[in-house]
Amino acid sequence: MKRWLLLVLIITLILPASAFAKRKKYEVVDVENGGSIVGTIKAAEMVADPMGKIETEVPEETKLCGGEFKMNKYIISADLGVKNVIVALKKVAKGKAMPKQDLTLDNKDCQFHPLVSIAYKGSQFVIHNSDPIFHNTSLGLMMKGKRSTVYNLALPIQNTTIKKPVRRTGMISVKCDSHKWMRAYVYAAKNPYVAVTDKNGKFEITDILPGTYKVMVWHEGFGEVDKTVEVKAGQATTMDHTFTKP
Amino acid sequence: MNLFRPWALFSALALFVLLMPPFAVAQDDEDAAYEALIKKGKQYYDINCRICHGAKGDGKGFVDVIRYAEKNGRVIETFPRDFTFGVYKFRAASTGCLPSPEDLQRTIKTGIDRSFMPPQEKISDEELRGVAEYVMTFSARFEEEDLCDVITAAKPDYVGSDKSIKKGIEVYKRMKCFECHGDDGKGNGPKANEIVDDWGKKILPFNFVAGNLKRGSSAENIYMTFTTGLDGSGMPSYEDSLTEEERWNLVSFTLKLMGLTEEGGKEH
Repeated sequence: MKRWLLLVLIITLILPASAFAKRKKYEVVDVENGGSIVGTIKAAEMVADPMGKIETEVPEETKLCGGEFKMNKYIISADLGVKNVIVALKKVAKGKAMPKQDLTLDNKDCQFHPLVSIAYKGSQFVIHNSDPIFHNTSLGLMMKGKRSTVYNLALPIQNTTIKKPVRRTGMISVKCDSHKWMRAYVYAAKNPYVAVTDKNGKFEITDILPGTYKVMVWHEGFGEVDKTVEVKAGQATTMDHTFTKP
Repeated sequence: MNLFRPWALFSALALFVLLMPPFAVAQDDEDAAYEALIKKGKQYYDINCRICHGAKGDGKGFVDVIRYAEKNGRVIETFPRDFTFGVYKFRAASTGCLPSPEDLQRTIKTGIDRSFMPPQEKISDEELRGVAEYVMTFSARFEEEDLCDVITAAKPDYVGSDKSIKKGIEVYKRMKCFECHGDDGKGNGPKANEIVDDWGKKILPFNFVAGNLKRGSSAENIYMTFTTGLDGSGMPSYEDSLTEEERWNLVSFTLKLMGLTEEGGKEH
């Protein structure tokens, strides 16, 4: 019987190399006594939030959308905390389970809501049109000023809802081909260690396995930086960042 | 404790040697066949495709923009496709999906009207499969993602009938197709000048009296465009916002706009 044991041992040692070489997938494990990353993302100085312009030749749109809107590009608190910054751990091999949490993107009053958000691989995009006008919602992975279409969906009728699975991951820009001013950003995550800063620029990412991680910090106006953070078991590591001028 | 006795080790190794090679050989055969196909595809690509699409498949060959004027004076700009994004307009699959090898082969073989992508009439079947496979190597998407379900188009009998055209007109209005394509389908709607593609280049909505559709002008091809959208362009998918019947009625009206009473144009 023992020779079978050895045979099994040899085969199991050889097989995985070929069977698992192809794709790197996120592995879900129990995280006990994990660490966390907390921090505040700030601006070096106050930046004025620009106004957006609505230009359309369709009269019913002018009536619905108005002429100008607050862009909410720079939402900065009195102590310079920046809202709507995405903080995401990159290349995480394993950790806690992905949340089952769909992302609703609404076309409302000629804007996308929310402006900045997170979607999780395996969950769904729920795309809705609350407006009585035509919208199309085009999601595209951001690629150095260009994009790679993820979905382009027509929602011509008020209260249409379309659900699509979150498959491709990375920073996504959302646009509407018929309303140039409309925009939103979604980080489609392949691991659950992602956060969006609140109105004080604060974020918290919990239950991380100890180790050294690369962390992406992204903002629509300030741009993107990568940081390196060491996470220790049962401890909170502080990771702050201050953006200088956009 | 007997694991490392000579006989145990020997028989285990003997069994291992006997059992493993067939797998290894089968895998090697497959790899070798794939390598040969890619080689063939690259050969064909370097001679016929590279001049426009570039050595890296990024669309940066010797030919850059191609401009031509339509009868109405509208100037259309076309760029060779950049394959590195893995985004393709012509697929028999939903928006966001990869094209299948068959989708790519169809486009390579038939070419694309009004785009200066010529048909490859003399290409052999092996070369065709090879080029499609080689084009896929330019984007990591083809390694990372699975293919989606294939969408089929079976044209119902009523397509092209007066009743269906009438219903199609109503869909055209309700779906706001005119906002881009214009009331009379000439590509001159109020949103016509606002559209950019994935590469940030300005693109214009199709003028239905300007010739064949790029995908082909058969009823089935028009239906496919409404269903899948043209990823990378401004044309969205109506798979979730129109029923199949509504899409076929819209096909009837589109054929009417194009002056193709029932079905015609170049089959793609």
